[in-house]
Amino acid sequence: MTAIIATTVFGIIMMFTGLFVDNKKTVSSIAAVLFVALLGINIMELSDATGPALRSMTLSLLGTADNTNGAFPQLLFNNMLRIDKMSMWFGTAMTACTALYILLIGKEFRKVGTHVAEYFALIFFILCGLYILTAYNSMLMLFIGIEIMSIPQYVLAGSDKRNLKSSEASLKYFLMGAFSTGILLMGITLLYGATRTFNVTEMVPMLHSESLNPLAISGIVFIMVALGFKVSAAPMHTWTPDVYDGTPTAFTAFMATIVKAGVFFAFLRLFHVSFGNISEHWLMILAIVTALTLLIGNVTAVYQQSVKRMLAYSSIAQAGFMLFSVLAVSSNIAWNGIILYGVAYSVATIGVFAVLVKMKDYTYDGFNGLAKKNPLLAFVTTIFLFSLAGIPLTGGFMAKYYVLLAVMHQGNMMWLVIFALLMAAISVYYYFRVIIAMYFKQGDPELTSEVTMGDQVLLIATTIIVILLGVMPHWFLMPA
Amino acid sequence: MDIYSILFWFLSAMAVGSALGVILSRNPVNSVMFLILTFFAISGHYIIMNAQFLAVVNIIVYAGAIMVLFLFVIMLMNLNADVEPQKGMMIQLAGVISGGTLFLVILMGLTTAKSELIDTKSSDIGLISNLGKVLFTKFALPFEISSVLFLSAMIGAVVIGKKEHIPASEKAEIV
Amino acid sequence: MHLLLLTADQNTPFNYFPVALQLVIAIGFVAVMMGATHLLGPKRRTKDKLVNFESGIPSVGNARQPMGIKYFLVAILFVLFDVEVIFFYPYAVNFRFLGAEGFKEVVLFVAFFFCGFLYIVKKGALDWED
Repeated sequence: MTAIIATTVFGIIMMFTGLFVDNKKTVSSIAAVLFVALLGINIMELSDATGPALRSMTLSLLGTADNTNGAFPQLLFNNMLRIDKMSMWFGTAMTACTALYILLIGKEFRKVGTHVAEYFALIFFILCGLYILTAYNSMLMLFIGIEIMSIPQYVLAGSDKRNLKSSEASLKYFLMGAFSTGILLMGITLLYGATRTFNVTEMVPMLHSESLNPLAISGIVFIMVALGFKVSAAPMHTWTPDVYDGTPTAFTAFMATIVKAGVFFAFLRLFHVSFGNISEHWLMILAIVTALTLLIGNVTAVYQQSVKRMLAYSSIAQAGFMLFSVLAVSSNIAWNGIILYGVAYSVATIGVFAVLVKMKDYTYDGFNGLAKKNPLLAFVTTIFLFSLAGIPLTGGFMAKYYVLLAVMHQGNMMWLVIFALLMAAISVYYYFRVIIAMYFKQGDPELTSEVTMGDQVLLIATTIIVILLGVMPHWFLMPA
Repeated sequence: MDIYSILFWFLSAMAVGSALGVILSRNPVNSVMFLILTFFAISGHYIIMNAQFLAVVNIIVYAGAIMVLFLFVIMLMNLNADVEPQKGMMIQLAGVISGGTLFLVILMGLTTAKSELIDTKSSDIGLISNLGKVLFTKFALPFEISSVLFLSAMIGAVVIGKKEHIPASEKAEIV
Repeated sequence: MHLLLLTADQNTPFNYFPVALQLVIAIGFVAVMMGATHLLGPKRRTKDKLVNFESGIPSVGNARQPMGIKYFLVAILFVLFDVEVIFFYPYAVNFRFLGAEGFKEVVLFVAFFFCGFLYIVKKGALDWED
């Protein structure tokens, strides 16, 4: 909760930094410091030693009485937020990913346009939405959280104004996003009509399997469609390739990773906490959506010629795997599964994008011969792609293992698990095409900027994180 | 048939009719005008449900401000050329079938729903004083947090809408 | 008339009866006038009559010119502050009831908006000449 306020304040600081500091390098440095500070605040709030005091201090600063003594779970602001250990853990993990993203890709913002400070401010605001989505306890907060995450993304998508594709991406994303927000609101309204409450936990006793109000079930389906749109699950995925392709690469890396994981956490929270008791009414629909997402994402990715577009389809395919954690209603490892998957997927994808922004040519041929020109770049890209494909000893393998295991515990979805394994095998093909281009083809790839010492250190650190996620996944999971 | 029912059916017919006008009229300016009519009809519904504040806000914000924005957007476009692509018959048919199916399913769902929770006439819940009491006590956090939304919208307007002045020194760096 | 007097003190939809009446009369008056001039006036459809009237001189160019984005920027900023003002209305009605707590909330909300306003002015988004 301190983090929500801190990220808002930091966002406003960045807004004004852009007005008073002309040098873009200074702006980037200030932003990097603020992101690391935000991570520090998150860790402080998470830790048992300093957390309660920090939360009490923030509450007294706001003039609200603290009736929980800073202990978890905290029900705050008339039950609008429910902050527990899990949401704090996820928020901290995503903040760490964002800090990594800023350090790796943040300096590329300068190439996008003139409003560098504003881009950082918008990312702070997106994080504010993410924190709300990790801790919402009311449908109203879910809606506001999703909106706070979406609107800055529309702006970031269109930030490269000289590029027609960027404007197209922004317009497409905005129109489709606004439409899906309308569907989300409709779903919330119908659900409110059936349960007479916005509260996520209070509506549970109103939803019985045997006498389920048709209003409720249509509301649930509407919400599922809207959230499925935000995480680009098929058949609501059609905006994803164009938007991810047209958006400046530096921002695609953020939209495809941290934002997506954040919405998935909200998805999981709503469908497990509120609709978990009536899962037989929606589980089959979601299973079909999952199967479609896996199929369309993986099969279409095979036919792409541009690595950036391939990564857009790969993000659809990965969303299919993340949907498994939502499907595993009765499993208690689903929550850890989404945290592990979110982190493993985000770190690996940010790594690939950090290499991609350095490339001049985004097609597969543009990667030809990278291993000769810059062996380090080629090596780290290989590890990141291994992780995305789910090769053992990388984070992607453990993440896939966790989410599939969660569904297997449930017992009735074996066909889907087998289908997912088949699709994972297909995904190896298009990820390995990049590796083959880098190592076994001749060419002279052009880089847009030099790979500095700092870049090398950061890329190696990211690689180590990816491998640690695969070898020591319990380090990243919440201690029980 | 009391006065409520007459008004309800009149406003409903007006809302549905003008909403159809929005999507059926060829001229985008006409579409906007039909949309304004739809908003007025919905405001009428709010008044029947005794939600007077919503009715007024709907007129001021939607029919007033947002529709002006819509007109601006249409004026930004080039209206001379008839560039609207003509959709094929099959696509139209597919749209009608899928949309119609959704409509039927929702209709069936809503007609069989228990609606005893909904009280349309004798409710004071939409009056401005009651709304204010709830908004500033129970829903204070969403109210405050929505300002973050407005801030990002302001940044978005400036980032997207403001003309950029690129100093000569930086031009070389970008290109 | 008695309908109006009966319901004057309560907050019911019938409070809006005079508004509706006025609306009907206003729209009806305009409709009747427009219809009447159309029916009663003489009709001479010549080529010169149907041409757009532009202060008596021949019209030049096309009226459907794309307009500047500056209007749009100002309009969208207007909408944002318009919505802000809307929130004051329910607060003003409950000013006494909400007391110091409500005042704090509104001041915080306005502070956010003031930050945004300062940003817009400093950024020059409202400057017409650039």
